[in-house]
Amino acid sequence: MKLDPVTIQILKNKVASLVDEMHYHFYRSGYSTIIRESRDFSCVILDRGGRLIVPPPMFFHAPFYKHFVDRTVELYGEDGLKDGDVVVSNHPYEAGVPHVSDMAFIAPIFADGKLIGFSGSCAHKADIGGMNPGSTSANSTEIFHEGLVLPPVKISAEGIYDKDLERLILTNSRQPELVRGDVRAQIAATEMGVTRMQDHCESFGIDTVIDAFEAILKSAADEMQAAISALPDGKTSADGYMDDDGVEMDKGVYFSVTIIKKGDDITFDFSKSQAQAKGPINLRPSMVEACVFYSLIGCLGHDMQFNDGMRDVVKFVYAPRTITNAESPAPVSSYQKANLRLTDVILEALATFNPARAIAGSGSSGSLSINWHEGGKPGHNSLQYEILGSAYGGGNGNDGCNATATHLSNLHVTPVEIIESEYPCRITEFDMVPDSGGAGEYRGGVAFRRRYEVLQDCTVVRRYDRYKYPPPGSEGGQAGGASKFVIKAGTPDEKLTPAAGKFDLDTGDVFYLESAGGGGYGDPAARDPCRLQHDIDQGYVTAEAAKEIYGG
Amino acid sequence: MSGPYRLGVDVGGTHTDLVLLNVADGSIEIEKVSSTPANPALGVLEGLNRFIAQGKEPATIEFFAHGTTITTNALLEGRGANVGMIITKGYRAIQEIQQQARDGNPFDYFFQRPPHLAPQSLTFEASGRFDYEGNELEPLDEDAVRLAAKALKDKGVASIAVVYLFSYMNSAHEQRTRDIIVEEWPDAHVSLSSDVLPRIREWPRMSTTLLNAYLEPVLVNYIGDLSDGLDEGGVETQQRFLMQSNGGVMPFKAAIAGAKTVHTLFSGPAAGAQAAAYLAAEDAKKGLVTLDMGGTSCDIAFIEGGTPLEVTEGEVARRRLDVPALDLTTISAGGGSIAWVDGGGLLAVGPQSAGADPGPACYGKDGENPTVTDADIACGFLNPHYFLGGVQSLDVDASLKALEKKVGKPLGMTALEAAAGIRRIVDMRMADEVRVFGAKRGVDPQEFTLLPFGGAGAVHAAPVAEELAMARILVPPRPGAFSALGLLCTDVVHDYIRSELRPLEQVPPDHAEEIFRELEDRGRTELKSEGMNPAAAVFAREFDMRYTGQGYELRVSLEGIGSAEGLDDTALSEARGRFDGIHARIHGHAAKEKPVEIVSYRVRVRVAVQKYEPAVEANFLETPSPAEARKGTRDVWFTSNASTETAIWDRSSLPAGSVLLGPAIVEQFDSTIVVPAGWAAHVDGYMNLILTREV
Repeated sequence: MKLDPVTIQILKNKVASLVDEMHYHFYRSGYSTIIRESRDFSCVILDRGGRLIVPPPMFFHAPFYKHFVDRTVELYGEDGLKDGDVVVSNHPYEAGVPHVSDMAFIAPIFADGKLIGFSGSCAHKADIGGMNPGSTSANSTEIFHEGLVLPPVKISAEGIYDKDLERLILTNSRQPELVRGDVRAQIAATEMGVTRMQDHCESFGIDTVIDAFEAILKSAADEMQAAISALPDGKTSADGYMDDDGVEMDKGVYFSVTIIKKGDDITFDFSKSQAQAKGPINLRPSMVEACVFYSLIGCLGHDMQFNDGMRDVVKFVYAPRTITNAESPAPVSSYQKANLRLTDVILEALATFNPARAIAGSGSSGSLSINWHEGGKPGHNSLQYEILGSAYGGGNGNDGCNATATHLSNLHVTPVEIIESEYPCRITEFDMVPDSGGAGEYRGGVAFRRRYEVLQDCTVVRRYDRYKYPPPGSEGGQAGGASKFVIKAGTPDEKLTPAAGKFDLDTGDVFYLESAGGGGYGDPAARDPCRLQHDIDQGYVTAEAAKEIYGG
Repeated sequence: MSGPYRLGVDVGGTHTDLVLLNVADGSIEIEKVSSTPANPALGVLEGLNRFIAQGKEPATIEFFAHGTTITTNALLEGRGANVGMIITKGYRAIQEIQQQARDGNPFDYFFQRPPHLAPQSLTFEASGRFDYEGNELEPLDEDAVRLAAKALKDKGVASIAVVYLFSYMNSAHEQRTRDIIVEEWPDAHVSLSSDVLPRIREWPRMSTTLLNAYLEPVLVNYIGDLSDGLDEGGVETQQRFLMQSNGGVMPFKAAIAGAKTVHTLFSGPAAGAQAAAYLAAEDAKKGLVTLDMGGTSCDIAFIEGGTPLEVTEGEVARRRLDVPALDLTTISAGGGSIAWVDGGGLLAVGPQSAGADPGPACYGKDGENPTVTDADIACGFLNPHYFLGGVQSLDVDASLKALEKKVGKPLGMTALEAAAGIRRIVDMRMADEVRVFGAKRGVDPQEFTLLPFGGAGAVHAAPVAEELAMARILVPPRPGAFSALGLLCTDVVHDYIRSELRPLEQVPPDHAEEIFRELEDRGRTELKSEGMNPAAAVFAREFDMRYTGQGYELRVSLEGIGSAEGLDDTALSEARGRFDGIHARIHGHAAKEKPVEIVSYRVRVRVAVQKYEPAVEANFLETPSPAEARKGTRDVWFTSNASTETAIWDRSSLPAGSVLLGPAIVEQFDSTIVVPAGWAAHVDGYMNLILTREV
């Protein structure tokens, strides 16, 4: 049956508003800092094949759900899934989740005994065991170091909640209370998706819903196909490095992509990327897909639809056991900085096909966690976790945005006043870093510096990048400022450390971090003098740098 | 009778509505004049002059209440003041990074934030720091403040925002800064973050304070002009009030005193919601959803237990603004919203609007794009010869042509199918929005009454209600002047807040009592300076609470908690119990075993103002004969495959007690009411038209 475009649009709006509602309930009721201030989670509705219908705000989670559903169906068989089931997994290889800290749930949606789709959610957990408090790691060498790993297993079977399994999970967490609260809120949000979709099946008819899903997916596929077909044919490669993998510190990490566009076909070939890494920056195809879909939409038309229909029009090529196609048990905890580096590389190659949307390298995103040895402040949590962004690269006709989350990362900063109220530390500086935006006709975004004084002994884990390989410039633009992580600041022991690592600090110690600035685009000498003067007035560029680099 | 009168004036984007209430007999007169965006006061005064020309004595006006979007428009059009800012030394990144997360399209890597209200070149730093408990870690660098004040004056700013860290715990540095600025520059507008929003989280506080600084000169000048104009026009009363976002009014004096400008930014739609809560009081107790559908958008509000729901965090023109406001959601579903075929080949409606010029295709001003109004008229819901009471005539053929060309042809539909599709999409979107909006607030609207107003509200109300399984619709007598009437239905309301984040178990009751009393004292002092009587004030206390570790707070009313001596341990544990209950209602679960924190203390000060009392229609007939009100019939396409000959009624001739069965269409000067089959409509004693159906 061919559905009319009105009904399709209506169901699409309904799924979008349902996803919105699921998110709202979850973040309002989630307990952990990461949920409440950073909103590091997603909720989705999928079709029978696990294909995403409308994207969650945290859209880079989107592609993994299909892998999770595929594996679940492989394990249980479609007949093995029942109404009232909820399946959990945080397995990067079996379910494709970004890392072990991200726990995902899917629940089959049955209407009249027929499987019509899945409701799903994925959220970062405060702690799921592993070698570090907070579970995230900059130097693990196996996923087993990163926490308890759950393959797809039923945590609810036909509506009966498996308390034993919950107990097992919580026993493996250093923050069982937070995890319990988040797990329950997440399951509630996931089940809400099931109930609401069942209501829609009742009012629209099961076949209408199934057909509408199909049509929504096809509509995105058609849209993407048209954009791709319109590009000139050609073959381009781009590559680049990350600083290190967190374990082999003297070695850069190499990413490569070759894009081949011919007629209606486009292929992204990652097979020249390096072998999978010892440290926790390995990617699985689910994450590479996220980078490619993001880059395609950003480059070809950012108003295009994002859903799993796009899979039908893009081909991926990987070599086995490479950094973009790692195999278990290669560690993955710090995957996001690899995603962000890979995105830069993909965008560089894509720019050949659409130079109007060319952008220089951007500044990545990283976490900072502090485990307070004396338990932190009475009545508050002992684990502090923040996600800090950087700045965008300059683009063709566009200065990079200062101090922001970039590309796939879009999380909130935790306010200074919240941190000081809840944790035994002071943030004594949160300032801009002049001249950190890469010089260019279009300047890279300016980075920030954040300085902490710790008021209890603690262990700090920083997971970041871009201190050896700062965000590169493009078309004659200069690189952005390199990132910095400095411990024991202001003492004889002051030390610039690699951008990722684990450090024990004493009461009264000061450390600071600087994010990387965005790369510049185009020749600095060509920068509009008015814009340059404005930069000087705002303190983004110093007068000296203006003279030396821009010749202004 | 010749008064005394009370005047409500609502300035909208295209029209200024005036409602003049004769206090002696409760009668109402309405005027509509064109708005004068360059100086909105002119339109207000012109409307006033029309009443004067009809023989009303301006001196007999004893009360003037005013709703204006002047600050909102100034923000949208970038017409605020040049703003400078003084911040704590070393924290320039706060204004750059804001929330860090990007708003808008996540795939657009050429993302930009809106321009800073105070650019870094006009932002100065001063050392001085408090810790999270308000203890001074470093004294204020007064010399730096003085230099900054001089420099900002030299640079030609008109308004200064002062935002220091932890000023909500200790405002001494901000207060001292204001003193220094005033010493250097007595005329400066100064907005202190500890005055505007003494609430934890530095970026929302900074953003709100910047908005206040940016718009305060605009509002103060405007109120000055308007006040002068009223004086010159012979209006003597000093009972002059301005609508706020929280649904209450403030005296002009309060608006001029400063720090309150940001409370006007969401005031536009607030008057309508307030009118609904007051004028439909009985229904409001059971629950109301208001649907204000105008030209470009549709504002939706919920009223539960007699009071409109409120929020404390919002955004306008991509700028964060955390002041109490009626909880409204706006979607791009107005009469002028344009229908188009999107990139994926689906029919989409909005967010683009045809506005007033060229307007919908049926306006005949060369508008090529079909709009919701075009769909309405193509289907026969609107009378082409009786739009705005016949002031404007509509071109049905132009509508059909646009529908055919832009939607029908590309999608292989007829023009009527396109029109029906547009209506269905818009109606469903409004319904979806209502449902999600309600769900997010733990409210199920099914048992509620839908109250449509604005020109197009009642055209679309019935299908929206059907989709939501609602069975009752209330259409007020004058849907077009409903907001202006709302201005005569409000109290003076001031909101005060102070943050202090602490686990509940670490808060001694007398400490909480002390904070509330400070806030209440501040309320009394301000009321006095505004010429209001503090003795008439009613105070309502609230906590913002959360479970330890949560990032968002819920408001917990302390009404009925605590004794005359103040709060005690029992009171605090009762408050905690209430918090668990509210959490369970909104989020589906409570964690009674988890510790709770107080994040902020709120006080709402309310001084009652005499209000409009709608009169019950005296000649209520048991068996009225509405036959005279019947204007004839028209073919109406309720579905795209068949039309129905539908009775058309003139609302102004429908006597109280009349009952009509759908399908029917009721026309009036400022709106059209669609009564589909399955619905019955009757006129109640207040001349409301009540639509009901069996479910």
